[in-house]
Amino acid sequence: MTAQMFFIGFFGIAAIWFGIVVFRTFSMVRSALALLFSQTALGALFLSLQVEFLGVLQIMMMATEMSIMAIFMVMFMMDPGGLGEMDMTHQKRLSLGAGIVSFIAAVAVAVFVDWGPGVSVAPDAAQQTVDLGRELLGRSMLIFETAGITILTAMIAATAVAIQPGVNSISSHRQRPVPTNETLDSDMRRNDDTHKKMGGQANHEH
Amino acid sequence: MTTVLLLLLLAFGAYLVAVLEEWATSGRFRLAAPVLAGIALLGRESILPRKPDRIFFEVGPVLLLISAVLAAAVVPLTPDLIMTDLATGALFINAALVYVLVALLMAGWGPDGAYAMVGGWRFLGQLIAYSMLIVMPITAVAMRAESLFTTQIVVSQVQVWNILYQPLGFVLFFIASMALAFLPPFDLPTAKGELAGGVEAEYAGTRLAVFRLGRLALIITLAAATVIFYLGGWQGPWLPPWAWSAIKILAVTATMLLAGRMMPRIREAHLLAWCWKLGIPLALLNIFLVGVLVLVFP
Repeated sequence: MTAQMFFIGFFGIAAIWFGIVVFRTFSMVRSALALLFSQTALGALFLSLQVEFLGVLQIMMMATEMSIMAIFMVMFMMDPGGLGEMDMTHQKRLSLGAGIVSFIAAVAVAVFVDWGPGVSVAPDAAQQTVDLGRELLGRSMLIFETAGITILTAMIAATAVAIQPGVNSISSHRQRPVPTNETLDSDMRRNDDTHKKMGGQANHEH
Repeated sequence: MTTVLLLLLLAFGAYLVAVLEEWATSGRFRLAAPVLAGIALLGRESILPRKPDRIFFEVGPVLLLISAVLAAAVVPLTPDLIMTDLATGALFINAALVYVLVALLMAGWGPDGAYAMVGGWRFLGQLIAYSMLIVMPITAVAMRAESLFTTQIVVSQVQVWNILYQPLGFVLFFIASMALAFLPPFDLPTAKGELAGGVEAEYAGTRLAVFRLGRLALIITLAAATVIFYLGGWQGPWLPPWAWSAIKILAVTATMLLAGRMMPRIREAHLLAWCWKLGIPLALLNIFLVGVLVLVFP
């Protein structure tokens, strides 16, 4: 029991600490992976609470999700390595207020909700998996299916928006004409002209 | 005690993979080569790049090794020879192996080198291709066993091995395993010749030794997972259970290494396109077929 309490405390603190690290670093990849390890610590916390399936699922899902988030953060931020002077924080007062309100709300829910009688002995892990499966295919089915389809729709829509038709597709690579000597010559001439123009302009500015 | 024994076996397995890999790629069978290469690596200077992200750079190789060992923890070699028989074993293997991606991302980003970074991000694309083909066939395997215990999954194949019961799932899982272990033709993150080693490029000395050990442990763990999911685990006539496990795991490893040797390296876009347009529909079909079979022949 003492060991269990120790691990619950340890992983809880680890989750909070990695959550803080997310905002302490300016490197987008560090930030994303700090969030990942915060979520992994939560998964480990679930395991310490003897909720095996949810714990393993949390540890598995978050690794993929946060890694994908990392690549998006690198793609869209101007300074993904966080080595420049750019300040990437904004709306500080709003976020501070939102953070405090959310914290109070979470504590209020934890304290004031009637959670019903606690279970003295947790059912064994296999039984938990069975119970969870029955719950998902019974009472909670509609909620889960709705959430799943919403996420899928969002993913497809985001991909459709991100792709420029005809540019990123594999077939367009295949159909690109093979450069011949003539086209290469004309390309080089054009580049040469552009270079002269740009060079001229630059010299003019000096 | 069992844990120590299994860790030693994992190390020995990694050694055998190294011998097999050299045999498969260069045709030379040298039993001492991995040991000599290991000593040479440990003796060399561990060069540090100029501006590394030190935490990622150091953690990457270690995390790769840890994730392979954690996945091996739920793989049974005999009914009793298993580190921990988790009620969520089949899911846990996948959860542990996802951190291979995190390790390669860290190893790619950490050293602040162009080739390494490209290799790391390439592996993220590779994950998006193979991960569904790992999870969905495991789902079908668990459906037949009606359990996520890895030992139960082996026991469920007493009558017919899963390679015959769900051959489609086996093919998909086998290919996806090769992609997960970044074996040729899926060696996009390390790609010798085009990325000069990719995520491995900036590592040297002890760190490279840990990285390579992690990769070898990963290959043997994936071969072991293929054996328990599809090839009946420790089951077989005449020989003792551990011998059957060993023979099957080595056979799967050799097949993985040989299969890759015969093919050119695949392009990232093609890998993604095939996995999503062909692999995922086939994996869904596999789940459907297994569902029907489970209902018809319970």
